[in-house]
Amino acid sequence: MPKNVSKYYWWCQIGGWGFLALVLVLSSPTINNQPITDKLIGLMAVSVLSGIFITHIFREVIRRSGWLLLPVEKALPKFLIGILFTCIGAALVRILVVDALNLVSLAARNKVNFMPRLLTTSLDSGLLIVPWTLIYYFYHYIENSRKQQLDTLKLEALVKELELKTIKAHINPHFIFNALNSIRALVDENPARARTAITELSNILRSSMQAEKLETVTFEKELNIVKDYLALEHIRFEDRLQIEYDIDEDTLDQPIPPMMLQTLVENAIKHGISKQVDGGLVKIVSDFKDDYHELMITNTGYLNGSRNGDGFGLASTKNRLQILFGQRAHFDIREVNGNTVQARVLIPADLSK
Amino acid sequence: MIRAIIIDDERLARNELKKLLLDFPEIEVIAEAANASEGVEKIDTLSPDLIFLDIQMPGKTGFDMLSELERAPNVIFTTAYDEYALKAFEVNALDYLLKPVEPKRLADALQKLQLEEDKEPISDHSISVNRSILNEHDQVFVKDGERCWFVKLSDIRLFESVGNYAKVYFGPNKPLILKSLNALEERLDEKVFFRANRKHIVNLRLIEKIEPYFNGGLLLEMKGGEKIEVSRRQTVKFKEMMSL
Repeated sequence: MPKNVSKYYWWCQIGGWGFLALVLVLSSPTINNQPITDKLIGLMAVSVLSGIFITHIFREVIRRSGWLLLPVEKALPKFLIGILFTCIGAALVRILVVDALNLVSLAARNKVNFMPRLLTTSLDSGLLIVPWTLIYYFYHYIENSRKQQLDTLKLEALVKELELKTIKAHINPHFIFNALNSIRALVDENPARARTAITELSNILRSSMQAEKLETVTFEKELNIVKDYLALEHIRFEDRLQIEYDIDEDTLDQPIPPMMLQTLVENAIKHGISKQVDGGLVKIVSDFKDDYHELMITNTGYLNGSRNGDGFGLASTKNRLQILFGQRAHFDIREVNGNTVQARVLIPADLSK
Repeated sequence: MIRAIIIDDERLARNELKKLLLDFPEIEVIAEAANASEGVEKIDTLSPDLIFLDIQMPGKTGFDMLSELERAPNVIFTTAYDEYALKAFEVNALDYLLKPVEPKRLADALQKLQLEEDKEPISDHSISVNRSILNEHDQVFVKDGERCWFVKLSDIRLFESVGNYAKVYFGPNKPLILKSLNALEERLDEKVFFRANRKHIVNLRLIEKIEPYFNGGLLLEMKGGEKIEVSRRQTVKFKEMMSL
């Protein structure tokens, strides 16, 4: 609980009870026709202090057992029982302290038995403790619903932002227009290749639209898209792009987040191959390692630190793995052999498949 | 006839553009280049009238390549969708084509180029005696961080030496280029650009006021308000030039 909230609570407690005591003491001569005596002030002080003390314990009970988080119909009986015990507790404390301090004359005390006295004092305390509980409860009720509203709004904004970002990350418009340009040139040069290229591009567009709806896809499905993607990039880069696959067939059924491999391969082209004058190699490896499905994407090129523009693809890969597999999945990217970048994903193997 | 070079790292993209240019008989594609360094080489040896330039290329971008050139030819940029390049174009009002190129847009871009040439005929390079000297109608491409400009030399009023760089004053801008003042002096037309002192080269056509100064020197006030001192030795030369 933040410090200022607890401070606020104490001000309310002391202020509220203090104000009440002051009013009772000052109004005593007019209402009860009793003069203000030391004893009266003492009695009031005992009521106030025992009130603060007992309601504070009540508050601790409410907080520790989380009654405020319960729906109203479940919280109500608990609060009623709570109020009952608090009233009796308050009465006991008051009676004990009053007797110990000798604030009421023995004669007056002996006139009534203990049980009726406890009952009346409890009812007396109830007059204060019931409003106290109502104030406490409604304050938190309003506060909670306001916080909930705020959280919902925040969450909605976050979801929207993520959606937009993922859509953007899924297909790079630069790639689409370059592919279309290559295909247009191919129409005259190699009509058959142009036709397959259009099919490949359609596959990629379709799968990226479906990707939003699915949590995971089989590796095989994802690999097919990546193969289409790389075939298209090969039209663009020609000899500058070499492609190698090393796929363990048993891994084809493994579940992976949709478009994850695609994003990593796109990065390999965008930040690796397309920056090398002589091009290079993109290699995709999929196999089992211990209890993990291991995916490795290597490409010629250099890791250029953490430039802002490049960050999103990698950050979203990490996030998605974490959301889907928690701490059990692993992702890293590093430079090996001086001129090769290696991205590696470890996903817990799904042995049921 | 406009002699053009296509610079793009993709063979198919170059082919596609060549094919589109067949409809424009006034354009002759004299060479192609697949990256920035090849591009610089071909521009230096062939001095084309026009280049079609891709922005995203391996090694250096099209912008980087242009700022390496002594003399910037007319440029039409070509790019597939690229947020950063598009922003640069908008900021600097450069002409660009989006790939796949729409024939109509290509025609517009070429026509705009023709109009500009009619208005202010670009010096015919085959006639100019010494090609290494930059004519005042020549333009240079200046890049300073995110911003870039094509600047006509006649619009530059002042070059100021700042370490290994030179600060180029034109309009309200004064970007830095990586060139020494001595190297610049060698390339500039001495009839227009005058070395006033160790640190400054001024454009004689853009002087606002001339005043006498200490020690028989002169103080020049440029059109942009900069005050430049002419050293005593250069003052003699300056007076000679101005008196014809």
